[in-house]
Amino acid sequence: MAQFPVWDPFVRLFHWSLALLFAANALVIDPDTLLHSTLGYVITLLIVLRLIWGLIGSPCARFSSFPISPSAALKQLRDISLSRRFAHRGHSPLGAFMIYNLLISILGLGLSGYLITLSGGAGFAWAEDLHEGLAAWTQFSIVLHIAAVFFESKRIRVNLVRAMFTGIKEIPRHRARD
Amino acid sequence: MTDPAKPLVLVLLIAAQTLCAVVFLGDIIADFFGNAEHEPEGSHTYIEALATFALIAAIAVEIRILIWLLRRKAHLEQALSTAQNAVQEVIDTELDSWNLTPAERDVAMFLIKGLSTSEIADMRGSAEGTVKAQLNAIYRKSGCGSRTELMSALVDTLMGQRVRPGTAVQG
Repeated sequence: MAQFPVWDPFVRLFHWSLALLFAANALVIDPDTLLHSTLGYVITLLIVLRLIWGLIGSPCARFSSFPISPSAALKQLRDISLSRRFAHRGHSPLGAFMIYNLLISILGLGLSGYLITLSGGAGFAWAEDLHEGLAAWTQFSIVLHIAAVFFESKRIRVNLVRAMFTGIKEIPRHRARD
Repeated sequence: MTDPAKPLVLVLLIAAQTLCAVVFLGDIIADFFGNAEHEPEGSHTYIEALATFALIAAIAVEIRILIWLLRRKAHLEQALSTAQNAVQEVIDTELDSWNLTPAERDVAMFLIKGLSTSEIADMRGSAEGTVKAQLNAIYRKSGCGSRTELMSALVDTLMGQRVRPGTAVQG
């Protein structure tokens, strides 16, 4: 069993605070309140910081370590279909797609939310439609994300949830893939 | 013309239909539990729900096809000639009749290609012990005692010397 330090403290803090704030804003807090828009700005700021960290952060946090690659994603799908158990050290290719999807969707939520506050409740009906559509899409994506994390944890036998707390992935040597 | 049954094409199709399904599903949830702003749509909602579930069922079928396609293509990457495809087809039919799991089938393909136990473990990211257990399952299910016997069985089938299970005597 080899231990790979993959998620730096910033990535972990970002991940869990984003999860917490998004859940609060989407499920609990009334959208018409000031608290909703304030948390929205905090979330947007978090995303912007993550984007910067993607350029200057630790190796596994950098965008260059998880490019959008359909061929690598297909390779991972093939591994799944053949019950091959390779585990990726950092983000898996399919995981990368989900990350970019979430980053862009949540950034879009922040921007469309800002547009709604500009109009002061009147006009900008399209911004509200966009905001609601993105909210539905992001919630669906998060459900898929969580399902995929449990599915992959079981498939490659690496506890991915624990790795997001400790920052360390424990992977048997013969199974690790970059 | 490119083959429409390419995995990537299928993945894009599944992604597009999933997007639609999410939109429709969101709409239905809003209709059923929705606020009073929208007037109730009555039985129209049920028809929408039915159509959406049909779409989701179609997506599930497409995912099955994708998995099948990926498994099939995994060992066909270098097979370009008609002869190679024909050989692959015979091997596929033979393996089908053994009822192997996807993992065992993958191991069996590497076995036929002449890889050693440790090489197969490398190719699959498994421990050698796992591969050995899978090899034993393959021998047990195929009724062959060794790799040599298994290869002979395949060559026999290729040469038409042996009646394949399931294709017994035809008129």
